Amino acid sequence: MKTGFSVFLAAFVALGASWFGLVYCPLKQLGVATETKVLQSDAKWPLQRTGDATLGLQVYRSAGCAACHTEQVRQTGAANVLTITEIGSHQPADLKAFIASLASSVTELMNSSNAVAANLAGWNGELPKVLYSGDDDTVVSMLGDKLKAVGVKTEARVVATGADIARGWGTRQSVAADYLYDAPVQLGNLRAGPDLSTIGVRAPDLNWQLQHLYAPRSLVKNSTMPAFRFLFSVQKKAEGKDSADALVLPKEFAPTDGYEVVPTAEAKQLAAYLVSLKNNAPLYEAPFSPITAAK
Amino acid sequence: MSVENKNCCSPETGEPTATRAAAPMWIIVVTLVLLFTGGLFLDSHSGWFDKNVYAPYQSSAQLETFQPKSGAAAAMARGKSVYEGVCGICHGSDGAGKPGQFPALAGSEWVTAKGCNRLAHIPLAGVAGAIQVGGKDWNLNMAAMGAALPDEDVAAVLTYIRSSWGNKAEAVTADDVKKVRAEIGKSPQPYSGAQLKAMPE
Amino acid sequence: MNPTENKTICSSEIDASCRVPLLALFGGAALWLVLGLALGLAAVMTFHKPDMFADCAFLTFGRAQTAANDLLLYGFAIPAALGVMLWIFARLSQAPLALPIVPVVAANLWHLGVFIGTATILSGGSTGHPWLEYPRAAAVLLFAAFMLIAVCAVATMGSRTNGELYPSHWFFFAALLWFAWSYGSANIFLQSHQQPRGVVQAVIDWWLTNNLLFVWLALAGIGIAFYFLPKIAGKPLASRGYALFGLLTLVFFGSWVGIPQSAPVPAWLPTVSAYAGLLSLVSIVAIAIVTKKTVCGACVKCSGGPFCFIKFGMLSFVVSSLLYISEFCPRYSRVLEFTWFNFGVTQWQLLGFAGMILCGAIYEILPRVMGKELPFAKLAKVNFFLFAGGTLLFVIPLLIGGVEQGKALNNSAIPFADASGVALKFLRISTTGQLLVLLGALCLLLNILVMTLQWKLGLVKTVVGVVKDSLAEGSAYQPLPCDKEAKP
Repeated sequence: MKTGFSVFLAAFVALGASWFGLVYCPLKQLGVATETKVLQSDAKWPLQRTGDATLGLQVYRSAGCAACHTEQVRQTGAANVLTITEIGSHQPADLKAFIASLASSVTELMNSSNAVAANLAGWNGELPKVLYSGDDDTVVSMLGDKLKAVGVKTEARVVATGADIARGWGTRQSVAADYLYDAPVQLGNLRAGPDLSTIGVRAPDLNWQLQHLYAPRSLVKNSTMPAFRFLFSVQKKAEGKDSADALVLPKEFAPTDGYEVVPTAEAKQLAAYLVSLKNNAPLYEAPFSPITAAK
Repeated sequence: MSVENKNCCSPETGEPTATRAAAPMWIIVVTLVLLFTGGLFLDSHSGWFDKNVYAPYQSSAQLETFQPKSGAAAAMARGKSVYEGVCGICHGSDGAGKPGQFPALAGSEWVTAKGCNRLAHIPLAGVAGAIQVGGKDWNLNMAAMGAALPDEDVAAVLTYIRSSWGNKAEAVTADDVKKVRAEIGKSPQPYSGAQLKAMPE
Repeated sequence: MNPTENKTICSSEIDASCRVPLLALFGGAALWLVLGLALGLAAVMTFHKPDMFADCAFLTFGRAQTAANDLLLYGFAIPAALGVMLWIFARLSQAPLALPIVPVVAANLWHLGVFIGTATILSGGSTGHPWLEYPRAAAVLLFAAFMLIAVCAVATMGSRTNGELYPSHWFFFAALLWFAWSYGSANIFLQSHQQPRGVVQAVIDWWLTNNLLFVWLALAGIGIAFYFLPKIAGKPLASRGYALFGLLTLVFFGSWVGIPQSAPVPAWLPTVSAYAGLLSLVSIVAIAIVTKKTVCGACVKCSGGPFCFIKFGMLSFVVSSLLYISEFCPRYSRVLEFTWFNFGVTQWQLLGFAGMILCGAIYEILPRVMGKELPFAKLAKVNFFLFAGGTLLFVIPLLIGGVEQGKALNNSAIPFADASGVALKFLRISTTGQLLVLLGALCLLLNILVMTLQWKLGLVKTVVGVVKDSLAEGSAYQPLPCDKEAKP
């Protein structure tokens, strides 16, 4: 029986270690997190949901939306990008030569001279022009300063890179701070449907969301999303007129004449929740330069 | 009570037994090798358990290089790079100077003075003659190291030294520097301590 | 014959003591298996005909698929495994099952919990945590039932007379500990009033999912396979040391896998999981070698019998575990994440590995425990081919489709509708496989149901017979004649 006891003890230690590492330590590190600040701003993050949006999370959970949709954006890298926005009175050819001479004379720029030259090859002066896109932030600041000294305006930005970002599903990856107020967290595991972390930015219209829930194929052809008709009720039009809530549907999806489709409270909550999903603020742990209105 | 008790199907061969051989050495060696190589991977990719480092960033230092620079942060970064390239050679990258050769900037009353007028004259015109810094007397020459730099760079480096190494003073703007430059003209003579003290702060 | 007086106990007496508990566990498990597969089929219809259940909230994909998954794990795999474990404990201890009423109560509690859980999910009350969707009441019932079965198992061990433990004992000790701690702990954190805020909920959930679907199923399944494979093959298990090595590496390393590589958590968590995944490969290799050495050169052919089931199951273990671990390799995870690949691997673990081993074990155990042949022995062989072929047809298109979908998702030039549509044609083939597996499950259910009915009818006949006899002759109770004794 001695081996039996030793094996049981070993299993106990193994499970204890894994519990400590994957349950206790994350609880201590992430579970006590509080709000954080948006990068270079005093705004708090994450935003608290209010009203219907809070209840909408429970409708999302109850309908099992996380079975087909994820709420997390991935990022494969980041880049410091320097873009030329104005060249003033210089000629593109002169500028190319000047930059090449800079790259060969300044020590910090030598490593990136090939990358910069490649970017400038075949440049005819169209603006804006990406001059450098890579890891090194000193290259960006130094090159930017030197060009500014000769009257060329540049813009230095940090951008997140990755397929999800390129698809427009977000401006940076999802991090723990985004889910602080979610109970329960609905990360999702399968992308049978698109990612929803910034759906509130891509489709902010409540009516669009409601119509999409009732008849997905009326808005997205060949969609395999099930129609959530049980979240709506088809009722007789009062005095032949549409009520304020009624959905405006194309002919093939509209109910028979004299009837209208009205969302239930749950549908409205779910739509409000979806419209509140806007995980696109820059944070310290997921930095990027927000696009400002004018320059 | 009688119950059908045929032990049917395949003939009962008794309870199974196991041979006593131990696990072979090669698999233990493989485990150790994997433990080591995996450990290298853990070392490079775990961000050393920092709660701000998310994949694909690999360390907090790397995360810092991707923070967008703007406003105050940019000025500090720029000031630091100008300082390292121009002033730090003599005054030290820690602002401590060298005893007998270059006065310290850390804790210097000229640097931390409320107004930046006197301070701005120093890099733009240079210093010659007696000057007291931090209670010590100095009588060496300093060239106008900032005369060739653009206004923004001078402002940035002055801002940098005014808020580094324990110094706490307000930032200097490019306009301040422009005004001083206009005041002193194209090829000014270096100032002495007494002349600087005579100026408004 | 008083068992305590006689040192050697008949196998038939041991088997008879297990009859009612095992029927309670296996019968319910088979029923839930059929229901789970049927619900899964209904759920996946949304990808072939999206408006099929548009007006029925119970069968919407999100609810039906979740309920189906939980039925396969909690409804079928765990109770069936516990039943087999109890029988193996009894056989290896050479003693009848101790406290036989306890597992019967436990089985009823367990099935009640599964019923409540499934009903709650289908009516919209799921907790929202993957694989932990059962509400508090159901979770408590499941935990209590499990502890009762563990008590019975320990008590059975207590009546052991022979000295050395067999490797399956080790695996089962670990399994009993594993479910209790991980399921209990995860539920305490996630179902309490003060559940932890934010993404930690997902981390705890991933920890539990890994420890149930990967580690626990492996512990139970391998323990069962290591009992039956040598027994049926007529050879000893390849080696104790090797099996022990496989067990230790599985529990130490396998329990740390589980955090997806792109999880919104600090980098150290997915890195640790990737590291652990690499090390778990050693465990899989060790188990594979032990299995191969035990099975090759066996004295028997399997021809669709339990031996086939268990061999297929162990092969599925190796393949599905390798695929599972590949999801945690940073290089592959980028393509495999958020695709049908993960679903395919999970189904392979549940049906191809656990399902096959448990089915084979049930077919091996039931005739002994009931004291008669299987009513539909041919159907049992058909069951094997339906399960084996069906599982492969179900899972492999999902894996390939998942890879294709992942590659398309990573190419931002391909619009999303096309990227997700890439998997649709694979899904059509996969659904056919699902149907075959359902038919196989019906074979199993039929066998168990008819056996139970025959036994019940036999009971009635026996009681009538005894009453007749005692009225006619007044004869004494006839003791159970012992069969040819099993070799010790």
